[in-house]
Amino acid sequence: MSDDQAIQVRDLHKDFGEVYAVQGISFDVHAGEIFSLLGPNGAGKTTTISMLSCLLEPTKGDARVFGHSILGEPIAVKAAIGVVPQEIALYPDLSARENLNFWGKMYGLRGAPLRQRVDEVLEIIGLTERQKGRVSKFSGGMKRRLNIGIALLHKPQVIIMDEPTVGIDPQSRRNILDNVKELNRQGMTVLYTTHYMEEAQELSDHIAIMDQGKMIAYGTHEDLVQIVGELDRIDLTINAESARVIEEWQATAGVHEVSAEDGNLTLLVDDSNLVLPRLFESATQAGVRITSAEIQEPNLEAVFLHLTGRALRD
Amino acid sequence: MKVLDIALKDMLRSFRSTFALVMMFVVPLMVTGIMYFAFGGLGGDGGGFDLPVTRVQVVNLDQPALHSGFSAGQILVEFLQNEQLADLLEVTEGADETSARAAVDDQEAGVAVIIPPDFTAAVTAPEGSATITLYQDPTLTLGPDIVKGLLSQFVDGFAGTRIAVGVVTEQLSKRGVEIDAGLTQDVVMQYAAWAETLGQSQSGGAHPALDIQPPSSETEPSNQGAGMIGAIMAGMMIFFTFFTGASTAETIIREDEEGTLARLFTTPTPRVVILGGKFTAVFVTLIVQVIVLIFASAIIFHIRWGGPLPVALVTLGLVVSATGLGVLLMSLLKSTRQTGPVMGGVLTLTGMAGGLFTTGFQNLPAAYETITLFTPHGWAMRGWKAALAGGGAGDVLLPAAVTLGMGIVFFVAGALVFRKRFA
Repeated sequence: MSDDQAIQVRDLHKDFGEVYAVQGISFDVHAGEIFSLLGPNGAGKTTTISMLSCLLEPTKGDARVFGHSILGEPIAVKAAIGVVPQEIALYPDLSARENLNFWGKMYGLRGAPLRQRVDEVLEIIGLTERQKGRVSKFSGGMKRRLNIGIALLHKPQVIIMDEPTVGIDPQSRRNILDNVKELNRQGMTVLYTTHYMEEAQELSDHIAIMDQGKMIAYGTHEDLVQIVGELDRIDLTINAESARVIEEWQATAGVHEVSAEDGNLTLLVDDSNLVLPRLFESATQAGVRITSAEIQEPNLEAVFLHLTGRALRD
Repeated sequence: MKVLDIALKDMLRSFRSTFALVMMFVVPLMVTGIMYFAFGGLGGDGGGFDLPVTRVQVVNLDQPALHSGFSAGQILVEFLQNEQLADLLEVTEGADETSARAAVDDQEAGVAVIIPPDFTAAVTAPEGSATITLYQDPTLTLGPDIVKGLLSQFVDGFAGTRIAVGVVTEQLSKRGVEIDAGLTQDVVMQYAAWAETLGQSQSGGAHPALDIQPPSSETEPSNQGAGMIGAIMAGMMIFFTFFTGASTAETIIREDEEGTLARLFTTPTPRVVILGGKFTAVFVTLIVQVIVLIFASAIIFHIRWGGPLPVALVTLGLVVSATGLGVLLMSLLKSTRQTGPVMGGVLTLTGMAGGLFTTGFQNLPAAYETITLFTPHGWAMRGWKAALAGGGAGDVLLPAAVTLGMGIVFFVAGALVFRKRFA
């Protein structure tokens, strides 16, 4: 393992009976980078980071965190990482400060260093003024921030964040993304899971795309977008789902992929300026009305569509 | 150290919960308080405990004509009418058995005592036998029990007479002296007179069959009631200690659902330490609960729990068994949706089987007493009753040891299940 590798994952498997949640993934996370695991719900992201957090034992394979095996040295691995779980895991009947004090002790902090670090973390997450308030009285965004703050208490070398922005308002989401970037700027390695393509795109140095327990693509944002070349993505909404019009569009010159769900269609095309008029014409002939159309430059959504035939939101 | 941190955090959460505090301290005291109030404890002079007066109708059918001058039936009537029993019994004489039974049926009397015609003959003859009929209002428990106790004491007193007659007869027969009815009568009368004199000298003038102890302090009049209230309080304390044990152990399942247990497992803290901390919280919470209840009930209800050592031993047994059962019970459940009904059902059933709700009843069937031996509750109750009765460490050792042993077995089984689940 080279010095710049924070996490090294090799042939990691996890089975739950007949369910193969993770099927032999391998990747490296370099020290000091933000690495995202991108994929839809059920792709195996949470199972992967549960194994890296030593919560689940792999069925096969191993991973090393700063040289420590998750199988052989779980306590050393746990000391090196800070985990932000997807669900808010706090004690609602304790105050913010009491929560931080308790979790700090679990990471081995005591006395003055603990008090000082709790003060620092309260400052980082912007809860100094509300430190004595019961968590049960906090807003969703405040709870999310405290949820992250706990993982920062022991100044971990790697912070693992499992979809930390799920179910929160745009302002809190923005705040969390800025926090992640700031932590990374201070030298912390971040392993981030998300099913939001924009978050992975904005934050990540490297991205691994997961689907159905497998890693289907890996690289920088630019590397991944190259997979779909210069294809444009067109998102269309039609007033009635029509198998006939979808078949016609799939056969239209310049169209590479079509996926449909509840009247929302996503198409990968060579040149949207040329293809779009043909789509409108086919729709008119089939008696279908296009109610909205949006053209996007090549992105990770298009990559996922290209690789799986399904949209990331599916 | 982390064990204590986890235990303290759990205890802090428990003691911040109004529901937990009410169930731990308020409800056991309140239930006992209701009993105390129901038996007149709050209405008596000086806050003492007053039993209700039981109306007794006595029908004396005894025919002592053949034994002139001595009537055991009449002595029994006078015994029941003794002025020292006036606070407990209101005794009237009935004309016949039918009217006495009717008086009970009409709730004009709580108890009817029918003294049979051959009563005197039975108590004086060496092999004699007679049955006093006690007919009682089925809705009453305490009054009839008191009358029953007094009658037993009275009849036992005459056993001495019989023995005296038997000894005299045997001795005189060996010397070839014939025993006639007059001589038997003399022996009976002399023994009765001697017993009465002895009894009066020992009990300050009371009838020898009465064991009325003079008060030794200002609070003494409430002793009898305090004894009963003590048993009721012990029953409530045991029940709610087991409830708190299960309820505190439930935090393991709750934390599993809340995600904080999984988060704890991602910290550099061994799982055995995490579970150990949570078990410690259960144990210490129960210790606090029992100590608070003992002191509070001693102040409020004047309960004398016994010496420090027996109380400590019984407390240890109770707390360990409640911790063990709580951990075992919760280890078998998967979610907090199950815990409420299971906790309520299992703890109520085991509490009933352990005799916690029947502490005020006397003369329970032997089979029921046997059933109580299969529950830690029953053994804990035995321990507390022994301590309340002023027993020493030796008297509580067996119940304390059994509850301790049961608790350890439950705990080990529960801990193994939890360990396997979170391995």
